[in-house]
Amino acid sequence: MTHGPVIYDPTTLPVDDNVNAYTFCVDLDGSQWFLQKGKMIAFYGAIEFNGIGHGPLDNLVRSSFHSPLHASDWVVAQGKGKMLLADRAFDVNSFDLDEGNLTIRSGNLLAFQPSLRLKQSIVPGFVTLIGTGKFVAASNGEVVFMEPPIRVDPQALVGWADCPSPCHHYDHGYLRGFLGGVRGLTGLGGTSGEEHQFEFVGAGTVLLQSSEALLDERATGAVPRQDGVPGQAR
Amino acid sequence: MLAVDLTGDAVKAKNGSMVAYDGQMTFKKMTGGGEGLRGAVTRRLTGEQMAVMEVRGQGVCYFADRASDINLVRLHGDKLHVEASNLLCTDAALRTGTTFTGLRGASQGNGLFTTVVEGTGQAALMSEGPAVVLRVAPQFPLIVDPGAYIAHQGQLNQSFQSGVNFRTFIGEGSGEAFQIRFEGDGLVYVQPSERNTIGGNL
Repeated sequence: MTHGPVIYDPTTLPVDDNVNAYTFCVDLDGSQWFLQKGKMIAFYGAIEFNGIGHGPLDNLVRSSFHSPLHASDWVVAQGKGKMLLADRAFDVNSFDLDEGNLTIRSGNLLAFQPSLRLKQSIVPGFVTLIGTGKFVAASNGEVVFMEPPIRVDPQALVGWADCPSPCHHYDHGYLRGFLGGVRGLTGLGGTSGEEHQFEFVGAGTVLLQSSEALLDERATGAVPRQDGVPGQAR
Repeated sequence: MLAVDLTGDAVKAKNGSMVAYDGQMTFKKMTGGGEGLRGAVTRRLTGEQMAVMEVRGQGVCYFADRASDINLVRLHGDKLHVEASNLLCTDAALRTGTTFTGLRGASQGNGLFTTVVEGTGQAALMSEGPAVVLRVAPQFPLIVDPGAYIAHQGQLNQSFQSGVNFRTFIGEGSGEAFQIRFEGDGLVYVQPSERNTIGGNL
């Protein structure tokens, strides 16, 4: 090998962009970012990390964090400097939202600007970002963007933007007679493993990862027990 | 995967990391990291154990370990500090040894000691995901998460800082309770992934 690796210092690190496919650099200039706990790998400068419950952050949390169930997984970074984010050597990418909305599996979201508002999705295990700003998401393999109508494998789904309508889809075999039911439930007699998909219709974009390995779900806790609220523990 | 061209010379590699070779090679297990009796005893005592083999021959030898990414580091008489578990291969001309790291090692769960590689030649480091190389200069100190740290070289002072406070104990920790601060002049290698560390979730 004749040429060495690229050596970064604070002046050559990119501003709010990827350093390589697996590492993202955030430039903090007195500003704040929300990030998932423990995803910071290194930083230059003076950056402080505080839990969501930190008193002085009250106003910020009031305006951009609306997911009490995820509060213990998130921290706010503030200060001046450059910070590197990464997650288990998964691909990381940043996305810009412009007065838009995006729903993403809670484990895939690494960080977001406080100009976005984080809310829990009605779909359990997913969170929704609303507003304008940048966020960073991790995926196992590159992210692919698809337009609905589309049916996707549940494990490959990362999220969706601009609200297409997500629903479950079961192949006909599940419905056909008693034996079809047994086969679907137990796998006896052979299944293709692709009998169940998520179906998206409507306008928008669906984000898929190019692998079926799921990122760890972040503990989401349970939604309030209330009639009509999906996803509660029964 | 790392390909090493050998023309009668030798490299030291992690035991069992050879995946293929072309030509004539001999593999010899080196007890105690190939550092002689004193080295072996030190490694045994410090727990910074390193199973190493010497590969000598003519041809190309391929090394790999658990599909880790491999980063080459060229040393010109300076010192590289690396965790034994991240060291895949070194030129036989490089000397390896063991040194005390203090609290940084403890926070990584890798023990209190680390491996030092010094001399002139190349060393191959393993990381989960390609390592990012960060320069530390007197005007740019660097703070690193212990779980993402792999290695450093140059004249660096490291200090350990802890942000553990009462919030950590009420579930309001920052997730970054333990950090290593590097000051001085040198390079730090970090991987885009965090090992599970004792303090990782605080």
